[in-house]
Amino acid sequence: MVRAALGPPRGQIGRGPSRFAAYLPAATVVAASLLAALPIVSTNGWYPDFGYLVFISWRLLRADPWPPWWGAPLGFVNDLFTGYPVGFSIALWSATMLALDLVDRRTMWRDYWIEWVLAAVLIAIDEWLQWRVAKVVDAAPPITKMIPALVISICLFPAFAWIVSRIDAWRLGR
Amino acid sequence: MATARPGWSRRAQYGLFFSFLAVMAGIIVGVILLTLSLVAPQQFERVRGAALDVTGPVAGALHEVTATASGIFTGAGNYWDAAGQNADLKRERAAMLQRMVEAKAIFQENQQLKATLQLRERERTTIAAGRIVGSSFNSPRRFAILSAGTSDGVRVGMPVRSPSGLVGRIVDAGTLASRVLLVSDRASIVPARLLRSGIPVIAQGRGDGTMDVRPLEVGRNPFKRGDIITTSGTGGLYPPLVPIARIVKLEDDGAVALPLADPAKTSFAIVEPPFEPAAVAVESAAPESEAP
Repeated sequence: MVRAALGPPRGQIGRGPSRFAAYLPAATVVAASLLAALPIVSTNGWYPDFGYLVFISWRLLRADPWPPWWGAPLGFVNDLFTGYPVGFSIALWSATMLALDLVDRRTMWRDYWIEWVLAAVLIAIDEWLQWRVAKVVDAAPPITKMIPALVISICLFPAFAWIVSRIDAWRLGR
Repeated sequence: MATARPGWSRRAQYGLFFSFLAVMAGIIVGVILLTLSLVAPQQFERVRGAALDVTGPVAGALHEVTATASGIFTGAGNYWDAAGQNADLKRERAAMLQRMVEAKAIFQENQQLKATLQLRERERTTIAAGRIVGSSFNSPRRFAILSAGTSDGVRVGMPVRSPSGLVGRIVDAGTLASRVLLVSDRASIVPARLLRSGIPVIAQGRGDGTMDVRPLEVGRNPFKRGDIITTSGTGGLYPPLVPIARIVKLEDDGAVALPLADPAKTSFAIVEPPFEPAAVAVESAAPESEAP
């Protein structure tokens, strides 16, 4: 909001939030999860976890993009489409909602760097948990194999945050 | 949610508290479901199959687009240096013809030998053919999505191969699409042998598109760079003599191999029934620990 107010006034009288403004954030997260349907065959798994990246981008941008409990159903959708073991994203995404609420309470100020660090920590937790879960079923590669995917995801986060902020501005009619 | 006091409004306080409870419930449910899907993966067969039915056709349709686009580029590339390519191909063809005649002779001899031994020739049937339309993006696991499902007769556990080699086996089956555990996944272990010498080896995925190959007998490292390994048929799931991978790097007690059927380039893959269903049934009677 504040960032949009910095821009020049654009004289758009009568513009308001779009009709589905309340549901648009969740819809974009589902759409990002559906990117798993892209006809790309990755042999090394270096692509980012699109659903989670968009999820934390929204949550870091706003405290209330969706009711906190929506983390569970959104995670369920992500699990189904990406082929993670069912329950992985449900637990992780709910825990993320909780953790970021606590972080909101502790941080005195926020800027891009803090958001990026927060996102990096969350992405690292996500990658580590995936590795840990794969280890349970004896399918985990050496953990060093996860580093390229982690670095790529962290580097891509600003791009996702930017896209999400654009969508946010559009949905609120700013 | 957790510790906030939004003010003196009871309603707001309760609202926050209940949303906190809801999130906690989400975490607990998630952990329970995760445990279930790790311990008993067949629990979620149906719902995962339904999700595959949503993504499979979408990926299939998009695949056509990307295949056409990349086809245009490679097609244009083929005109470049066409004369040189033509000469190369002619030379290759002459060599291949010679090899083919040899192979035919060997095949006939093989038939005769088998007849004298009265070996029962197993009929190789194809259950379904599909396209590999997608894969797991961000995961230590290696899965691919195949555009053939239970409506084509595909069942969980069936081996999948392509013209160039073994692809993997089915782990989730939807009506229209199914999920394949690629041979490069860490959980995929294929009994194999060296084509050159027939030495039995074990091929396990490494999770990064390559495979670890180890000889069954400890001792001298039997591998050479460029060796081809094929399935041995042991275990009864995979049919024998399907090429799996090519050795690219030697290690102390084994080698690293690159699967011959690169799922990124394989367009068609066929699903076959388990090679020895009886043997597989005995194996799977023991609790299976692999989760998708």
